[in-house]
Amino acid sequence: MTPVGTPEGTHRPHPVKTALVTVGSCLVVVVALAALTGQAARGYSTVSQQMDSHAVHDAQVDDAFYRCIDVQAHSLVATDQSVRLSAENLADVVTMIKGFGNWVKVAERSSPAQVVLTLRNDTSGPEACLGTRVVATSVGLDGRTLVRLGTGDHVDGQGPPPAPPL
Amino acid sequence: MNTVLATMVAVTVLSAAGCMPVVAAIGLRWFAVPLVPLAGAVLAGLAASASLSFGGGLLNWFVGLAMVAAGAVFALWVMHPERGPWPSSSSSDVPGRGRHRLIGAVGFVVVLMSCAWSLRGLRSPTVGFDARALWVMRPGWFLQSHAQLLIDMKARDLQLTQSAYPPLVSAVAAVAWKITGIHTARLGVALIAVLNACALATAALALVEVGRGVSARLVRRSSGPPGPSKPPWAPMVIGVVAAVLLVFVAAGATEPFLTNGYADPIWSLAAVGAVAYGLQVHVDRSTRSAAALLILVAGLSKNEGFVTATALVVLIAARSIGVSGLRAGWRRWASPVMLAACELAILVWWPVLMKAIGARGATSSFSTSGDLASRATATMHGMSPYLHVLVVAAPVAVVGGLLLSSVRRRGGIGNDLWAWLALVAGLAAVGGALVTGSGAIEPWIRSTVHRITEYPLLEGWWILAVWGVVASAGIGAGIGAGIGAGSVPLDADAITTDARAMAPDGLIEVGNADTFVAGAAR
Repeated sequence: MTPVGTPEGTHRPHPVKTALVTVGSCLVVVVALAALTGQAARGYSTVSQQMDSHAVHDAQVDDAFYRCIDVQAHSLVATDQSVRLSAENLADVVTMIKGFGNWVKVAERSSPAQVVLTLRNDTSGPEACLGTRVVATSVGLDGRTLVRLGTGDHVDGQGPPPAPPL
Repeated sequence: MNTVLATMVAVTVLSAAGCMPVVAAIGLRWFAVPLVPLAGAVLAGLAASASLSFGGGLLNWFVGLAMVAAGAVFALWVMHPERGPWPSSSSSDVPGRGRHRLIGAVGFVVVLMSCAWSLRGLRSPTVGFDARALWVMRPGWFLQSHAQLLIDMKARDLQLTQSAYPPLVSAVAAVAWKITGIHTARLGVALIAVLNACALATAALALVEVGRGVSARLVRRSSGPPGPSKPPWAPMVIGVVAAVLLVFVAAGATEPFLTNGYADPIWSLAAVGAVAYGLQVHVDRSTRSAAALLILVAGLSKNEGFVTATALVVLIAARSIGVSGLRAGWRRWASPVMLAACELAILVWWPVLMKAIGARGATSSFSTSGDLASRATATMHGMSPYLHVLVVAAPVAVVGGLLLSSVRRRGGIGNDLWAWLALVAGLAAVGGALVTGSGAIEPWIRSTVHRITEYPLLEGWWILAVWGVVASAGIGAGIGAGIGAGSVPLDADAITTDARAMAPDGLIEVGNADTFVAGAAR
């Protein structure tokens, strides 16, 4: 074992090497900190843009739209009823999943659903969520097909809601 | 209860569940603090897997797992009191110890404040597209009955193939919903954002640790005049500065996904932290445990995270064993291999379960071999604008490797190549999925490239930041102590002469820089 701090354990530093290491170190520190600082400033500004009034407005409209169709779905389906989401339009399926997919009881493939949910787009009137209404189709006790429209909330205007970043 | 209060309650519950395992595995270290809620999140993810595997409520499993973990830790401390977190009788009058502790505390506070400030995007009530469609929708499924959960995961009508993704993010939101009674996407988003910040803080605090560690080791390595010497300020201060800058860089790189409920930031940040503690910071029981926990966070959060985490498990085990370990007896490599096997077993639980139940999205389709070249080209062109940091990090790493590798080695920092290997593994995981997948490549890249390149991008910034800290030590070493490239002979045994006195956190080192036996790390 050679103890550090004793003459045996220490070589005389080579002045060129020492200078090279010092200059290289300075260079690396400056480049690393300058790059980090520049990108940190950009990052700071990116985060601040999230609070831009336009972004906040879009987020509020998006939130209101999905809350609206959630409320409408609740007006049509009891939590213990089995449901099928109509797969005719993929975009509508995604919208329904986003709006109320977390609580509806999806029916097993082998058993018929008590209620089939779909969306009716481009509608107008006081009960629409940006022009969209949730529609429930079921079979009544008398065997007749029953079509009901969701109620309970509305969002003025026409959809779709502003697209959030993917 | 409003969302802010509900988020605080949820974080408290997660922290209560994760506290004992983290204290037992890591000890009372600054970087252990943000890991506490992340450990709770891992337990929630495991609870979701257990709930789907065996039935039973998610919350029951979560509470049960937390109690088992706490009980195991308590039993360990009773049987082995020396493994407990209470202070040891190590000397407190070591020169420079106060400086070290001060920097540790200051670094912790400023990193935490920076992370909190980076969450100000939460003021906008944004819920991301995938977040609403999957990450904060699936918690509702986890709270339904076991039979219904199976239908939700399998029903082809729902068409949502991403529901087979790993469970951690959704499981955490489910626990929060169940405990607070507030079933809103907003609560899920806020909670995920806080966990993102915890992962970010952990990765950034690794830089503070690098600065402190390098500083301490330079003292004991320095060949200056005899007598007590204090650790140099430069690496410690630069470590703190770089950590804060990294927080802002990472927040910018991951927004808007940092605060809109996506799972990409948490796995990316956790993977960066795992590389930091597992492959870069000096190895001891605390850092190895932190790396293991962060690997679980990354691997249980998203498919890309799973693949990257698997690669990190292999890399960390390889580093722990080393070439010398292969030549040595099984005792040398049994422990790293066992740890890696346990991590892999936990990681593969969910994907195997998805296959076993025939979940929607559990199978993948692959592109034909004729498309591979064009898809690879499109992937490379799509990703390259987001990896601009490599243009700076690569030359800095080359210069650093040529001039400062000696300083880096003496500072106890792992070889830079480990971090580059980890970066390449993450790139390969994401790039490989794009190249071999069957989806239309151009729209796929356009809609995802920003977030799927977060990990390699952040890893590149981390590599650059570490070189900054190492170089700050090189300035002092080059001028004052004569520690240039090869100017002082490598003398591993010399560490043991004063390691006990100068170790920053009660660490006891034996042998070379990669073989540490930790005392109760504090």
